Amino acid sequence: MANDKENLTRRKFLREGLWGACLAGTGTAAGLSIARNNRDNTVWQIDPYKCIACGNCATFCVLENSAVKCVQAYAICGYCDLCTGYLVPEPKALDTGAENELCPTGAIKRTYVEDPYYEYTIDESLCNGCGKCVNGCAAFGNGSLFLQVRHDRCKNCNECAIAAACPSQAFKRVPADQPYLLKKVDAKE
Amino acid sequence: MHRIPRRIDSSLIVAALLIAAVVTGAVSILRLDTTGRSGSGLSEEFAYNLQKLAAVDPDLILYAESGLRVSTGFRQSRAIALDSSGRMYVAGDRAIGVFGAAGNPEKLVELSGEPRSLTVSDDGKIYVGVGDHVEVLSAEGQQVASWNPLGDEAVLTSIAKHKDDVFVADAGHRIVLHYDAAGTLVGHIGAKNPDKNVPGFVIPSPHFDLAVSRDGLLRVVNPGRNRIETYTRDGDLEFAWGERSVDIKGFCGCCNPVSLAIGPDGGFVTAEKGLDRVKVYNSDGGFVGVVAGPAQLGKEGQLKVCNTPEECQGGGLDVAVGMDGRVYVLDVTDNVIRVFAKKEAGR
Repeated sequence: MANDKENLTRRKFLREGLWGACLAGTGTAAGLSIARNNRDNTVWQIDPYKCIACGNCATFCVLENSAVKCVQAYAICGYCDLCTGYLVPEPKALDTGAENELCPTGAIKRTYVEDPYYEYTIDESLCNGCGKCVNGCAAFGNGSLFLQVRHDRCKNCNECAIAAACPSQAFKRVPADQPYLLKKVDAKE
Repeated sequence: MHRIPRRIDSSLIVAALLIAAVVTGAVSILRLDTTGRSGSGLSEEFAYNLQKLAAVDPDLILYAESGLRVSTGFRQSRAIALDSSGRMYVAGDRAIGVFGAAGNPEKLVELSGEPRSLTVSDDGKIYVGVGDHVEVLSAEGQQVASWNPLGDEAVLTSIAKHKDDVFVADAGHRIVLHYDAAGTLVGHIGAKNPDKNVPGFVIPSPHFDLAVSRDGLLRVVNPGRNRIETYTRDGDLEFAWGERSVDIKGFCGCCNPVSLAIGPDGGFVTAEKGLDRVKVYNSDGGFVGVVAGPAQLGKEGQLKVCNTPEECQGGGLDVAVGMDGRVYVLDVTDNVIRVFAKKEAGR
């Protein structure tokens, strides 16, 4: 031991330290590069089975009009006359009157199909991703309305502000070639 | 008087500014809402709040929970039925759990598939909707018969037996199937037929219940129209009752009531989802009172209104009524049976 300490000169310490630092730097750079490449192949998305439609998507997104929008799973929708995603809980009438609409921005369109069925579609230019309709649909209906990050708008930020603020950890990164997490019929059966 | 000019050391100012900056930064970081739990900042207009609608006038609550609570032991309970001796039969997972009147587990009958509905006849036979067909089991749980499958889209949500008639609600095909006791299909009830003034069933979700009253009339929930329709065994629509309203007397939402049972006095007990409520109506469909509201059905003082997708889509409640008038509520989310008895007069 005593010989080793004597042999460890300042020059040797600096030389070996420099080598170590170079190796660590190379490793870190390689790791960051791999992580960056992996991240480039993924995008942010909302798991609809974890989302509680808290409203944060409407306000935490860095975009002025959130990239999160309500989407409709038509295979799950009941096409209800009394759609609780479209109508307030106590509607005066089952029609398109503004006083009966649940959506504060009027982003849901109701179209007559046949008695007593109606189709509901989302106007994404009006939707702010607040999730009010999602809660209404889930509470009484089938939960066919749910929130998704729309990738024609999303900036795919490295640190998504909504993901950080999501209280149910519903935000996750998904492969860019499969960017949506859609609800399926009987998925939770 | 000679006044000495006071000089302030510039380093003190810099230090004070630095301290102020550090404190401000620390407070800002600590107050930063990185979890979103302090709210979205949206106005009340953007909030969907069922809590306001969940209040029930205490004077309308005619029942109180008895001490009996039975855990079903299933991961997913689906339906409850009672036999004439007060035994509880619960369909869930891939089995039927049988519990004594005191809640003691008696038997577990394994099934070939997932059951959605069941009923117990006076002779003790169990009729259970498994997947796309009905299976008949003996009182001991042995399979006696398996009726013809009804196709991939069949969702058998309710079964009722009256004398030699068996009625099966198929939510997938939006129809009631009328069988004889041997399993021969006699006919279909409730298909849309303007000539017979039958409007057709509107079934937005797999909640489609039925029961047969003592007079032999078939009572079927039409959940999309928020009413209970009465049919003869031949399929003629006699009358309907039920009001579409968020008020306690009515049924709210697109798919309520989700469950129906008939009491020994001929009255009805209904269960609703979304805004979970169990209520009593007389034999004419007149509102009588409340068995339990969201406050009584919740846990630890919490209102039972759905908050998560799992709770919302769990399906809510199924109800059965005993010969003594007690109401048995199966909570399919918490997998527990809760028993409610009528309050004594004056309490």
